[in-house]
Amino acid sequence: MPFGAPFQVRLREAGLAYLLLLPSLVFLAAFTYWPILRSVWFSFHDVVLGDSRIIWLGLENYQRLWDDRLFWKALGNTVFYTVITIPVAIVCALLMAVALDSKLRGMAIYRSAFFYPVMIPSVAAGMVWVFLYSAGYGPINQGLRLIGLPDTAWLYDSSWALPAIMVMSVWKYSGYFMLILLAALKLVPSDLYEAARLDGVSAFDRLIHITLPLISPTLYFVAIIGLLHSYQIFDYVYVMTHGGPADATNVLTFYIYQNGFQYQDIGYASTLANVLLLFVGGLIAVMATVFGRRVHYLGR
Amino acid sequence: MADVVLQGVSKAYAGRPTVHAVDLTVADKEFMVLVGPSGCGKSTTLRMIAGLEDITSGRLLIDGADVTHAQPQKRDIAMVFQSYALYPHMTAYRNMAFGLLKTTRLGKVEVDRRIREAAEILHISHLLERRPNELSGGERQRVAIGRALVRQPKVFLFDEPLSNLDAKLRSRMRGELKRLHSELGLTVIYVTHDQIEAMTLGSRVAILSEGRLQQVGAPMELYMRPANTFVATFIGTPEMSLLRCAVKPEGEGSLVQHERFSATLPMRAGHADAFLGVRPEEVRVSRPGEGLTRGIVERTELIGAEALAEILIGTDRVVARMPVPEAPDSGAEVSVFFDLARARLFDAATGRALPAA
Repeated sequence: MPFGAPFQVRLREAGLAYLLLLPSLVFLAAFTYWPILRSVWFSFHDVVLGDSRIIWLGLENYQRLWDDRLFWKALGNTVFYTVITIPVAIVCALLMAVALDSKLRGMAIYRSAFFYPVMIPSVAAGMVWVFLYSAGYGPINQGLRLIGLPDTAWLYDSSWALPAIMVMSVWKYSGYFMLILLAALKLVPSDLYEAARLDGVSAFDRLIHITLPLISPTLYFVAIIGLLHSYQIFDYVYVMTHGGPADATNVLTFYIYQNGFQYQDIGYASTLANVLLLFVGGLIAVMATVFGRRVHYLGR
Repeated sequence: MADVVLQGVSKAYAGRPTVHAVDLTVADKEFMVLVGPSGCGKSTTLRMIAGLEDITSGRLLIDGADVTHAQPQKRDIAMVFQSYALYPHMTAYRNMAFGLLKTTRLGKVEVDRRIREAAEILHISHLLERRPNELSGGERQRVAIGRALVRQPKVFLFDEPLSNLDAKLRSRMRGELKRLHSELGLTVIYVTHDQIEAMTLGSRVAILSEGRLQQVGAPMELYMRPANTFVATFIGTPEMSLLRCAVKPEGEGSLVQHERFSATLPMRAGHADAFLGVRPEEVRVSRPGEGLTRGIVERTELIGAEALAEILIGTDRVVARMPVPEAPDSGAEVSVFFDLARARLFDAATGRALPAA
């Protein structure tokens, strides 16, 4: 909008802009911001699903959360899941993307092959992995038997259940991250690599000193997206283990679901949800300050 | 420093040939310019010398060693790219140091000494801590050249290095490059599509068209004695005019018969359908009634110190160059003279210069 335009013209254009924004603002308000405010309000009350009485509790729910060993376990599981799954998935995705960023024949086929897991609905994927992991007839155990290793009931063993879900998540996320990173790799001018090749810079040094710095904005973006996804992990846990065995795979979103919809304790579930929101928000703020400044934007 | 020899170097992409058996020798300390219109194969040829493209057939020797299939880093060359290819996340200093530190055993002190020295030569000492986005086009260009200089390679390759600069800066950088070449005694192979750049920079110029080498020679030799009609019309602005004519021997010379005139040329060319080639400065016009033939002025352009007139002679067009006051009006009928002692003949069928031309 030109600054020199008469006030009425500017007002009319601004009015139109706001009018066009209105529908999405209404939806955001109704389905995002209002529920968040409600859940903050719920967290100070005793609210039971199907019961119209609402009793003021003050900070009692937060006190309860502080003393709730299961909350800490679920938080621990979630953090463990995130700090392993996301970096591993990003490294896998980067390796796949670098391998696919060549002009060899058949790359389109590999690209779709690696991306395929992303397209499978998570519930269906979960069911498939339940089969893969199952004791006795599961292909993974069959394979292990071939090389003389004992059967493991992966999803029923409290020390293996969470890592099993993490392996499956890496498989599911990598293709998605790979596609985003591949797009970033394509934007790195090829003559930078050519200049480095003429100098005799090794492929490893080219990756570390040229590729990584230049795709750092995308890596940063993928890390944030991964973080958001992993703190919302629910579907795989619900389908594959239901939080078990002995809460070994109970993660925060699943624990929120249990409290809210299995125990009908909306007040406490809201408290958990608010704490999760603050926790993720805090993490992202930390990431933004630690990594955000080191990110190099091409051409800026 | 060293010589570079191309022996029948060819390139084919998916079976389609793009560079045809180029034979070229670049002498030690020579400034060789590869020039031609876009798509002529000059950049591909340069990239084959660099090792960035495979050589489909033929041999490449640098300093006597066969490097036809050697990895780029084994060839001891440095290249300056059209886009400069500076690492955007590194300072000018780091850009120059990176390759040396990663791939040579030179100590930091020696690397630093080389960078300071190159920066001195290129007048960029005060810019070393800046990143490429904080530099102007000309400054980036200097950093890119600096990055090549510090490697102290046998051969410098330049791929259209000036085409991203504005006209004024381009002419200044041309002077700089010429100075660098003579002061430091570099062997340079330089690709450009700009014939002015080729003429002013090259000790010798190699002209390519459609993947074939057309002629190699000193700039003025190409201008005065083009080997074929392509070279004749590619070098020189405005281009050489070609008039269709028949040629036959007459005495010691040749008789040239155009649809509007006949003339005798001092060289023997045999019997042929030919083109008579005349440069704009070899055409003179005067009032009707004199001269070799007559023509109609189609268009006159005043370009400062001089004027160009496009003259229709029969069905052929000829461009004449003259001082502004002598410029004829458009539509005027004029007499035309040619400086026949300097004119050349080309075979109409093959385009090749006819003997003794």
